[in-house]
Amino acid sequence: MDNALLNNTLLTILNGTVSLLYILSLVLYGADFFRSSAIAKTYKQPALIVTIVTHIAYIGFLTAPEGYRLDYSSPMLMTMVALTLAVTYMFIEFSTKTDKTGFFILSFATGAEILASVLFLSSSGDGPAFSGLGIGIHLLSAIFSFSAIAIAGLYSFLYLLLFRQIKNNKFGFLFENLPNLEVLELLIKHAVAFGFLFLTITLLAGAIGTIQTSEVINLFETRLIALIVIWLFYGASLFIKKLFGWDTFHMAYILIILFVVITSLIILMSIFSPTFHSTSF
Amino acid sequence: MNIISVGVNHKTAPIEIRERVSLPEAQAKEFLRNLIDDGIAQEAMALSTCNRTELYVVPGMPEVDCRYLKEYLIAYKDAHHDVRPEHFFNRFYCNTARHLFEVASAIDSLILGEGQILGQVKEGYRIAVEVQSAGILLTRLCHTAFSVAKKVKTKTKIMEGAVSVSYAAVELAQKIFSNLSMKKILLIGAGETGELAAKHMFQKNARNIVITNRTLSKAETLAGELGTNQVLPYETYKEHLHEFDIIITAVSIKDYVLTEPELQQSMQKRRLKPVIILDLGLPRNVDPEIGKLKNMFLKDIDDLKHIIDKNLEMRRAELPKVQKIIDEELVGFGRWINTLKVRPTIVDLQSKFLEIKEKELERFRYKVSEEELKRMERLTDRILKKILHHPIKMLKAPVDTADTIPSRVNLVRNIFDLEEQNQRTK
Repeated sequence: MDNALLNNTLLTILNGTVSLLYILSLVLYGADFFRSSAIAKTYKQPALIVTIVTHIAYIGFLTAPEGYRLDYSSPMLMTMVALTLAVTYMFIEFSTKTDKTGFFILSFATGAEILASVLFLSSSGDGPAFSGLGIGIHLLSAIFSFSAIAIAGLYSFLYLLLFRQIKNNKFGFLFENLPNLEVLELLIKHAVAFGFLFLTITLLAGAIGTIQTSEVINLFETRLIALIVIWLFYGASLFIKKLFGWDTFHMAYILIILFVVITSLIILMSIFSPTFHSTSF
Repeated sequence: MNIISVGVNHKTAPIEIRERVSLPEAQAKEFLRNLIDDGIAQEAMALSTCNRTELYVVPGMPEVDCRYLKEYLIAYKDAHHDVRPEHFFNRFYCNTARHLFEVASAIDSLILGEGQILGQVKEGYRIAVEVQSAGILLTRLCHTAFSVAKKVKTKTKIMEGAVSVSYAAVELAQKIFSNLSMKKILLIGAGETGELAAKHMFQKNARNIVITNRTLSKAETLAGELGTNQVLPYETYKEHLHEFDIIITAVSIKDYVLTEPELQQSMQKRRLKPVIILDLGLPRNVDPEIGKLKNMFLKDIDDLKHIIDKNLEMRRAELPKVQKIIDEELVGFGRWINTLKVRPTIVDLQSKFLEIKEKELERFRYKVSEEELKRMERLTDRILKKILHHPIKMLKAPVDTADTIPSRVNLVRNIFDLEEQNQRTK
């Protein structure tokens, strides 16, 4: 299959534009956080909204030839991760009125989008487009699961940073600018709850899809094992929290490790494997 | 028209000197009335706080200078034995305006950026208005100072962050907990320090404050003042430690009031939910080992001073921004002052031309019809307006130095043969 991007000037322009918009939003959020720039404070949120809208339009144009169905290619998954992270962050910003963590979440989203953009240009063609509602749900919930894992990991990192600063009497820049520990803890808890929900849907929809298509999935595939481990941990932690309370300090370490492991696996396999699973549907 | 400022403040004199020349409201009113009634000042304002007593005066006589005003104040306060003119500072003209702008913006305060001074400047101005010693110049000066202070407050961080131990304790608590109204707070000790911390917590919406004290009645009084009415007997408060998210200790006692085993037990009961202990006692009230417990934030006075130092450093970093705002306002104020100096010449100029117009029209009054006369009057008005436009614009134009204004005024006066200003006044 030909590279759709290289054959379509509009898509090529949009591919670059979306990455540039992510970089612009990141710069504005960074300027507000690190420099308290009044201009950045005014324009960062509109910039992020424009980025999200452009990104949705771009994905619409990209998937239009396939009837607006996503495919399993690594660049498509990476760009969807960037979009879901940006959308989730936007939701957090509106709902919690906390706009000081955008730089950290968007730096990851920007990285994912740049990687997706490069992979789109260098990939030889699309991965297989999914067919069937079950597989569609599996794919979308997997993307949202990863966004939740990323957000839980990133907020855990910020939690530990602030926790240590307060413990060690370092009342500097981060102490001044980050949201308080309780807010960060709440964001982590919500991310874990959503992560567990989406991971459950991912696994169930994936299992149903496999049965329907009679495909054989390698059960020892690294990402599948990692996914199940995280699902078990997230589920157990919610259970433990209800029964015995939650030691956020130690939870944060584990959430960061899980985030780093799953991200490394996705990046490595995105580069070395053209499709997400070792068998294609 | 000059404006002078003299005074003593925390930079020029120790507290015992500042006390001697302070002017409480009643005295300030009397003093200002004396200045006006004796013809010493055309306008006058006194600003008296715990850190400063300053006079802002538009002199009423040529001999009234800084020294004169200092001596007048010393004599009024009968403080010849303690206070000398060397304890005072002097400011003239633009520097007077700059000084008041700096005072109102709280950058001249003992604690940089403190929030009370603007209210005190407004109070000084209110008194001056009440005794009718504030004229056009002081009114403009004070209103510009209020505007400067407002700009400084909104556009800089000079007033942000806690700079007292009790307030730093609240700032720290807010960096751990998002909503103090949902937290249970225990105050051990109902002394002055504890009271201040509890009041700051209350200001930040903390309502669930329980007080314990060796003398129960003192705890009850403070709880009543705060409106919480929650007290715990000193003998039994340790049984309830696990219920509290924030514990403030401020008692004068040699032994620790909270020990590590007690807190370890309470943390287990709390299922490791974070706790802040703010030890405001001297000597310390809480065993420092407690700080090593999981999810326990123990902070003593020295720790809280780190927050204060950081905030003061942040405020100092804002000084260039404040000075820039003051400089901009000073330019505007200077321009307005200059228009005051040229205003008599503009009035004279307009009067002179009006007079000529009236005289010339008078000659035609009975030679032309009423309607024609009105048309001639309108025509001459238009011509005069155009002729005077440039000289007036030139007079009002910004100047580089104050010396430029008299030369401009003289030039216009000579060209248009205007009567000398002082002769006209006579």
